[in-house]
Amino acid sequence: MSNWIARGLRRGILTTRYPHAADAMPPRYRGAAEIIAGAPVSSLAAGAEACLSRAILTDGHGPQLLMSRCFQCGACTRVAPDAFVLSPRFDVAIVDGHVADVRAQLAARVRRLGRSIMIRHVDAGSDASCEQEISALFNPFYDVNRLGLFLTATPRHADVLLVSGVVTHAMAEPLLRAFQAMPNPRVVVAVGTAASSGSIFSGPDIAGPAERIVPVDVAIPGAPPPPLSIIHGLWVALGKTEARYREYRT
Amino acid sequence: MTGTDAPEVAAALYEIRERIAAGSRLAAVFYEEVDGERLLHYVLANDGGLSALTGCVGFEPVPALSADIPAADWSEREIRDRFGVSFDGIPETRPLLPPGDPAALRRSSATEVSTVLYGPIRSGIVESARWVIETAGEDFIAVFPQMFFKKRGLEERFVDVDLELAPYVAEHVSGATAASHATAFARAVECALGVEIPERARAARTILLEFERVHQHLDSLGKLADDGSLAVGAAQTFAAKERVHRLLAEATGNRFSRGVVAVGGTRGDVFGALHETCASRLGTVEREATSVVEGLFNTQSLLDRLIGAGRLSSEIVQRYGGVGPVARGSDIRCDARATADGFMLAPIGSAEALERDGDAFARARVRQREIRESFGLIRRALDAAPSGTSCVAVPAASGCGLARVESPQGELIYGVRLVGGRLRRVAIRSASFANWPLFVPALPGNIFTDFSFIEHSFGLIQAETDR
Repeated sequence: MSNWIARGLRRGILTTRYPHAADAMPPRYRGAAEIIAGAPVSSLAAGAEACLSRAILTDGHGPQLLMSRCFQCGACTRVAPDAFVLSPRFDVAIVDGHVADVRAQLAARVRRLGRSIMIRHVDAGSDASCEQEISALFNPFYDVNRLGLFLTATPRHADVLLVSGVVTHAMAEPLLRAFQAMPNPRVVVAVGTAASSGSIFSGPDIAGPAERIVPVDVAIPGAPPPPLSIIHGLWVALGKTEARYREYRT
Repeated sequence: MTGTDAPEVAAALYEIRERIAAGSRLAAVFYEEVDGERLLHYVLANDGGLSALTGCVGFEPVPALSADIPAADWSEREIRDRFGVSFDGIPETRPLLPPGDPAALRRSSATEVSTVLYGPIRSGIVESARWVIETAGEDFIAVFPQMFFKKRGLEERFVDVDLELAPYVAEHVSGATAASHATAFARAVECALGVEIPERARAARTILLEFERVHQHLDSLGKLADDGSLAVGAAQTFAAKERVHRLLAEATGNRFSRGVVAVGGTRGDVFGALHETCASRLGTVEREATSVVEGLFNTQSLLDRLIGAGRLSSEIVQRYGGVGPVARGSDIRCDARATADGFMLAPIGSAEALERDGDAFARARVRQREIRESFGLIRRALDAAPSGTSCVAVPAASGCGLARVESPQGELIYGVRLVGGRLRRVAIRSASFANWPLFVPALPGNIFTDFSFIEHSFGLIQAETDR
């Protein structure tokens, strides 16, 4: 018989203190792309050309990088290193304008009931890595139970809906029904670039990004977003920290 | 994937059956249209490599290979549902893919008595798939997977994508096993164009594939521990998995090694980065992984749930063309790493992990041994430390290529056709696609609460099945 308790104690505390204290991804980590100020137009165009998910806009009001579309491959930084750079930052959640109301209602309800936040997950067409990163939230390194975040098996008492993957036509209705089964107020978080914007996906099987089916409050880009990004996004969704990005997605 | 002067399917089937009788395994059936001609490529595998026999769809219905070779069942049904080829003699008449009309999706298979629809959304953090379960109380009578809810049209997404960017598309087929998919795709293109990659890149890819095997095997074992209500054991197993992802993030910049495999080698000196990171990290990662899994196998309450669950005889696995740990748990020698075209820096020898019992315990035991074996292979590749460049240029040429790698779930095959350096057709036969049909014979005789143990002992990925 293995002595699991003794083994656990021998490992000591592995758990991050984030978001109460700073944590970081390793220096080589490739997060979202950013535009270098004053980059030449030709380099910006070359980067846009190399982007599989069309995250780089060069027309209209100056160059723009749509964070929700970037799946963090770094192709633009290779063809145009003078115009693009990948940031190792993980706090890349994007917030939608109306989330403030939902957050206030949710905070009031949680306070009134004196309880934790319950999370429900739906895979709408993911590449399987988002599920593994969401599961990782519950491993000893992140242990989000310490933050009062718990997983629930039923949408009936879920406060937060996590959607992963681009929504396929076959999953559109099951996703909508899961959302409709949740009580109000409810917060929807798109986990990953595919759920946030549709990423590289197009064609007859694809219904679109999660926001096409359910009202998305917070989007967490990444392919997949690491657990720290997801914690940050959940913290934004619950109104405990501010997002760095507000983006009117196209 | 050969030329277009192919014989009729019926004529091709004659030779295919002969080759299967002589010991080849039917690994995949790929559909392709070339200049208006509709082709079926039958991919056969043996230890010497992969070969494709092509038949052209003339008069329909064409005779079904699955009439007597169950390994063709899913491929032929998918081709029927997806491309409209009609077959004569497919034993299973249910559609494989869900109908396009959502109303029909709700109606389908809900009409039979004592039939339970389980999914596509299930409890927990799981991928979407549905099972049609026929049951009489506690026992499974029959179980039919109803999948492809997540079909994203990825084979089509490859067409005309620049070769520099196309590995990113492969990584979207299964992000959890991104290195396997990027490598299998890159290998198929390299075979098509006759490109030999540098040894340093081969060593890097070998290391990435073995780390991927370790984290996916730990994922499967952690889920089994969780199913067995072994809270601390599961937490410690997932902690060991987390350490692998942290090592990969430090070395490759991504927790799932995405974005580092390129056609022609690797993007940058990936081997150098792995070598540097492993020097300080590998010891702890290996110790944690191997010791926690040993702990699981010393916990009788967990083993009791695994022993006897979801038993598959080697005969059934062989007939259905099962691959990976599912095959090796039923005493079938099937490992792309041990084959002539298997691409390992140093092929694994006879010490292959095989188990005889064919149950969930046997499959878990295979994973335990393979975790240890993978660390050995990682160390050998690190020690070999081949010098030189990490990537070579590829010509903008035409050609067809078939390649396989041993992904954590088993043999993963990519087929590509290039014309003037542009991708025209990419076909994917994932290990999960090959293994799901075996779920059907694995369940009868078991009870409801065995379901998750059997599912997690298979350890398959829905995203690469549906693609």
